[in-house]
Amino acid sequence: MRKFLIVLIIAGFLAPLLSSPAFAAGPPPKDILKGVFTQVDAQQRTVSFTKDGGEVMTLTLPEKMALEEVSLNKKVMVSLDTHAGPGVIKEVDRMFMDMTTSKVVALLLVGMIGGLLSGFIGSGGAFVLTPAMMSLGVPGAVAVATNMCHKFPKALVGTYKRFKYGQVDLKLAAVMGVTATIGVQLGIQMQKYILNTYGNAGSNLYVSVIFVAVLVLVGGYVFFDAYKLARGDGGEKVSKLALRLQKMELWPMMEFKVAKVRISAWVTVPVGLCTGLLAATIAVGGFVGVPGMIYVVGASAMVASATELGIAFIMGAWGSVQWGISGLIDIRLALLLLSTSLIGVQLGALGTTYVKDYMIKLVMASVMLVVAVSRGAMIPGYLAALNLRAPLDHGMATFLDGLSFWTLVAALGLSGIIITIAMVVGMMKDRAEKKVLTAVSHG
Amino acid sequence: MAITKFDQHAMAAAFSEAGEPETAREILKDTGAQKKQPQAHHQAKKPYLSTVILGVLSLTAYYYVFSNEKLVTDVFTRGGIYAIWPLGTALFVSFIHGAFGSNLLTVLGLEAKKSH
Repeated sequence: MRKFLIVLIIAGFLAPLLSSPAFAAGPPPKDILKGVFTQVDAQQRTVSFTKDGGEVMTLTLPEKMALEEVSLNKKVMVSLDTHAGPGVIKEVDRMFMDMTTSKVVALLLVGMIGGLLSGFIGSGGAFVLTPAMMSLGVPGAVAVATNMCHKFPKALVGTYKRFKYGQVDLKLAAVMGVTATIGVQLGIQMQKYILNTYGNAGSNLYVSVIFVAVLVLVGGYVFFDAYKLARGDGGEKVSKLALRLQKMELWPMMEFKVAKVRISAWVTVPVGLCTGLLAATIAVGGFVGVPGMIYVVGASAMVASATELGIAFIMGAWGSVQWGISGLIDIRLALLLLSTSLIGVQLGALGTTYVKDYMIKLVMASVMLVVAVSRGAMIPGYLAALNLRAPLDHGMATFLDGLSFWTLVAALGLSGIIITIAMVVGMMKDRAEKKVLTAVSHG
Repeated sequence: MAITKFDQHAMAAAFSEAGEPETAREILKDTGAQKKQPQAHHQAKKPYLSTVILGVLSLTAYYYVFSNEKLVTDVFTRGGIYAIWPLGTALFVSFIHGAFGSNLLTVLGLEAKKSH
């Protein structure tokens, strides 16, 4: 058993080295230059560009780009158009947005609720943090990198808290974390194949369809289960599938003491791989990892959601190293998000001690279903881009974009409200019980 | 007149000799409870000082990063080995600010449910 675990851990660390550097939500882009524009030649339409490290280059502006778009002495990311000739600029993105009060407040708020959700259901925040940062003017790659860098310390603090409450199965987290990291590599290869075969729109369509299908099916089932439990005594029963799989004596068997499960590695490893595959595809592996641990492995929702934080830490730390090496992390944004999410994650973690198991399932299912609506709103646009339906008119495209973003915000807000209410009700009940106990012991 | 520990022990011995060991035990138990009380009070004490210290440390760290925004964003995004800066900062903040958050919640009276 121990030997198997060691082999698994070594394999997990070797796999990323053997393949291209990867992490959840795709690899860092390779063909990007980082540096500052120092001078513009309006007649020649060229710019002097000082790369990180001091190398000076002369780049040519594309016809569609106005000279005013070149801001001097601000750090930028430049992608080159290799088909148009050597040193021709394709796209320029300002790496660091200017901070305004409203942007800071938005980041603090999103960080707080994202943290609360993360502490409560084990995953969350990433699905809204990355688009939220992008809508504030952060380039996509920087938003993904920054989210990753904010995620792993948050997951670390959350894991520590829930470990103290006796809810984290460290061994299950290690097995799932390592196998999920391997799953991410597989997911990236699959993404690359689809991108090369069907182009950008095909890749987006694939991601959206997987997103909606997984979230509706899994989220719907979790919701149904939570509803059944809420109508009953609220106590959790191990799923029939998990009980059947636990009876399967297939070497090597693994014992997870906190989860109170003895199950074959042939069950846990595929669940981990699927978590990684989904993490690489939709950047929220926890949406399959937590239900996988509950319904396939047989852990309680409490242990599964807590263990997911450990998995998020392992995967987030590995991803952050990759993004950090690419130099794309905006630490200012990561720190602003952390300032509230580190408190939110602890609040969410202690909230789990006041609620019944089904509450965690209910929050997770609600978030999954609302997020599915958000992603579903993007599908008509991708279908149109692939000529699989008539093009969308401007008004419709704007409406669907807005619908997609605001439903994400609604998902976050909704979960924040449910968790707060559940926590407050749980605390009030607990205080009332304590009062009764004190009265009985004194009377 | 207050009953001292000596008086209590003497009373317990007297009851014990008189063939009432249960009463003697009760008297000694009370002493134990009296002893434990200040300890329980001590445990409930809220960590005001450490919250303030960690809060100031965390605030200082944030102040340094944001007052040197240009330098930080330049150095932290050089890539390669410089990755240690953003990752190290994120970890450092998670310890300092995370501990501050934990203490803050305790000070606010928000603590995990203890099983009865």
